[in-house]
Amino acid sequence: MTKEITISPTTRIEGHGKVTITLDDSGNVADAIFYCTEIRGFEYFLKGMEADRLPFIISRICGVCSTAHIMASVEAIESIYKTEITVTAKQLRELLLMGQIINNHSLVCYFLTLPDFWFPLEEDSSKRNIFQIMRERPDIGKKAIALRSFGARILDVIGKREVHILSVIPGGVVYPLKPQEREELLKEAENAYTITLEALNMGKELFEKNWTDFKKAGDYKTHYMALTKNNTIDFYSGKIRIINTEGKTIADVAPSDYMNHIEEKTSSWTYAKFAYLKILGWPQGIVQVGPTARINVNNRATTKVANAEMQEFKNKYGNPAHATILLDYARLIDLMYAVERAKELLENVELTRDDTRVKVERRNGKGVGVVEAPRGTLAHEYVLDNFGRLEQLKLMIPTQINNLAINLNVKDAATQFIRNGEIKPGLLNRIEMITRAYDPCIKCATRQTGEKLKVEIRDPRGRVVMVL
Amino acid sequence: MNAGDALIDILASDFEIIYSPTFIDLKEIPNVDLAIVEGGVRTKEDERLIREVRAKCRTLVALGLCATHGGITSLGNMVSLKNLMEKEYSLIDTTKLPELEDLMYPVCNFVDVDYYVPGCPPMPLLIIHTLKSIVSGKKPLRHETVVCTECHRKIVPARLDRLYGVYEKAVDPTLCLVSQGFVCLGSLTREGCGAPCPRAGFTCFGCRGPPDSMMYRSRDMYAFLVKVIAARTSIPEATIKEELYRNPFVFHTFIFSSFERAKTRERVI
Repeated sequence: MTKEITISPTTRIEGHGKVTITLDDSGNVADAIFYCTEIRGFEYFLKGMEADRLPFIISRICGVCSTAHIMASVEAIESIYKTEITVTAKQLRELLLMGQIINNHSLVCYFLTLPDFWFPLEEDSSKRNIFQIMRERPDIGKKAIALRSFGARILDVIGKREVHILSVIPGGVVYPLKPQEREELLKEAENAYTITLEALNMGKELFEKNWTDFKKAGDYKTHYMALTKNNTIDFYSGKIRIINTEGKTIADVAPSDYMNHIEEKTSSWTYAKFAYLKILGWPQGIVQVGPTARINVNNRATTKVANAEMQEFKNKYGNPAHATILLDYARLIDLMYAVERAKELLENVELTRDDTRVKVERRNGKGVGVVEAPRGTLAHEYVLDNFGRLEQLKLMIPTQINNLAINLNVKDAATQFIRNGEIKPGLLNRIEMITRAYDPCIKCATRQTGEKLKVEIRDPRGRVVMVL
Repeated sequence: MNAGDALIDILASDFEIIYSPTFIDLKEIPNVDLAIVEGGVRTKEDERLIREVRAKCRTLVALGLCATHGGITSLGNMVSLKNLMEKEYSLIDTTKLPELEDLMYPVCNFVDVDYYVPGCPPMPLLIIHTLKSIVSGKKPLRHETVVCTECHRKIVPARLDRLYGVYEKAVDPTLCLVSQGFVCLGSLTREGCGAPCPRAGFTCFGCRGPPDSMMYRSRDMYAFLVKVIAARTSIPEATIKEELYRNPFVFHTFIFSSFERAKTRERVI
């Protein structure tokens, strides 16, 4: 008798998702699926929009990663206009992107995934959340908020708004940074650096305590892809490197060529599309992006602590590292890099130069913008017509790229927990941890609205046997 | 989250968060005193959920423009459902996924909402103020008029020959943006945000929705905008109309067409 298990809604992720596990006659896992249950259709309603306004509207795809979307959008427009922006503008933009990474990663690390490592598996699920941790250890809550506020401050001071920033436009950044603002931000950066160091040590300790228990679930080997500049981590510029499961580079792709290497397909059971590598085809072309991919693809980081952590990570967990749960660890290293890099950028007095903007010359044509968003490589491709309006739009969202890997790893994890019809305790949260590790952003992947996660066990006729 | 320390204070004193799919592992919605809902209704499942939430809470607050007015997500209404399904999702099996509504709706189309806090994103201070007022049994302070009342810029009638694109020329730091020939929607948008966009030199995009005076069905916002621009720039109304109609997105960035205005007039914060 086959059964189906459904987890709905998947909690502590951004967006609405659902997981279904199908069991075969002997009660072992036959299949597992992660659904996205929302839909929006940005590709359609943005047609005809004038290019100047595009970045502002497109950032509304997602409040969490609005800055990364604006960067990709503006870069795509600039590549059509053939605009070369100034060094100061580039640095300010990179700083904004670091603000975005800090803002997002501090949210994910503290508020979404920390409870899984903090509490034992048997803990009552109503307690397994950040608010309970804040009750036990108010200082941790304060630090989490302070760190996140530093990211928001960068966006507010340079971007002029904390969410959906305004100042990044084709041609540069509208307002230069004032010397006094730089000094204030630098002071906050030093505080953020101390907090992040503590978080990193605490995170590592908790992670290692749980590692042997967690590592078996979701160990699927895939290709990886991330931006790279001289073999170092870079979020803002560089080329896209694709490596295979052994860590060998199979392609270095220029941003303008990126879309030719990726193909999308829809499926009957989810509103999120799947993306895969074109040269290898479906489903061999499975590829992952995100924190682990950034470490796997690159040899080192330009900042001191992040680089040391990265080497330690590679030594301990392999190069490339595959286990899904390592994403949570890698995200902390990402966070460290972002804080260090933000501090480094702010230490440079040249950052307050006022040559932040160049004149743009409007053109038509096709252009691609690629940046590393918190969840991985994000690309926007636009075609503008003779009037400077949007004719065609294609977005390649990290969660779409990770979609297949999420599904395979959920199946893998389910297999560990279900044997011969017997369901081991902790199944529900362990499977959610896999999806949570990817921090899937369903809003962007579907460009839609609304989803949830629920676990149901069904018999072969589709009747619900059990709801977890 | 961006409220920072104010969030910690509020959690420490008056509130306990019981249910939140983003932060807490509880799968069933419990009975609560206060429910805050974000996002609009696009699927049948969303509709079922919002009805369930309404039934299980005493006070319901709609937070953010998607929930209060429809917002950016309702731009999706430009494409018919049939079109979308045929072109993009012809393979979709609706027995496994929630069925889509014909259009994207704000939550007030399905349930009675006690307070609306619009904005994209809504300002942290407005949220904190609203929550504190509800807890202390007072009515939150309402913001009834337009963004111009919170903007420092001086309205000086100018003599211009045409309108300008968002980044076509440098922005004067003290003069009203409309007087400079930019299409700023501040004069049609609800105050309460503190006018961060015009203050920083960017046109208002209208993310707080219409003010009280615009919440009557007879009001033609387009005509009103044309009059405002004409008065502040001396450009002939016909020229402004032509310019605005030429660009379909000047005005409809944040749609509120399916918003039930009469019902909600007194409850928008």
